[in-house]
Amino acid sequence: MERDRAIVDERRVGGAIPACLLALLVPGAGHFYLGRVTKGLAFLGAIGALFVLGVLMDAGLQMHLGFDDPLAFLRSLAQMALGVPYFVARALGFEAGKVTSVTYEYGNTFTEVGGLLNILVVLDAYDVAVGRKR
Amino acid sequence: MIASHLLALIVFSTLVSVVFAMLLRERSQDRVRFALMTFGAFVLSAVVVGWLMYPFPN
Repeated sequence: MERDRAIVDERRVGGAIPACLLALLVPGAGHFYLGRVTKGLAFLGAIGALFVLGVLMDAGLQMHLGFDDPLAFLRSLAQMALGVPYFVARALGFEAGKVTSVTYEYGNTFTEVGGLLNILVVLDAYDVAVGRKR
Repeated sequence: MIASHLLALIVFSTLVSVVFAMLLRERSQDRVRFALMTFGAFVLSAVVVGWLMYPFPN
């Protein structure tokens, strides 16, 4: 039984692409697309809350592209993995954050972990789409 | 917004535990149990590490 579930149905791999793209754009959207509403709601709620609370705690959403500061680059990538909400927040002027705020590092942690969790959610959407998971 | 260390820890642990439980368990009962265990592990380990660091404030 477990062995059967580990086999990827190659006919379904193509169908996994839109699910993964949607999951990357909006947390939980890939699971909504696949009909896993409960999972989608949980991911949207939890990761969305991590992001919103992070932004409200004065997180910095600045992009660090390039390798002059590798850790800042990786943190920036983690935040970008949140997809559309990240870019919307930047467009709305939440880009700089507030370095002097007591909660600045909390905010950064919340938003970065939200993005990293969304990467796991994308991988889960792939597994569900190809039939490896329910 | 959340200026208390403990409140930030509890909110963070709750949200991350929910995502982990949804990702790693399939039955509702297992998810609840796993989320509670993960939440407890987050909070307990943070408190323990906090006390271990207490003698070294700098």
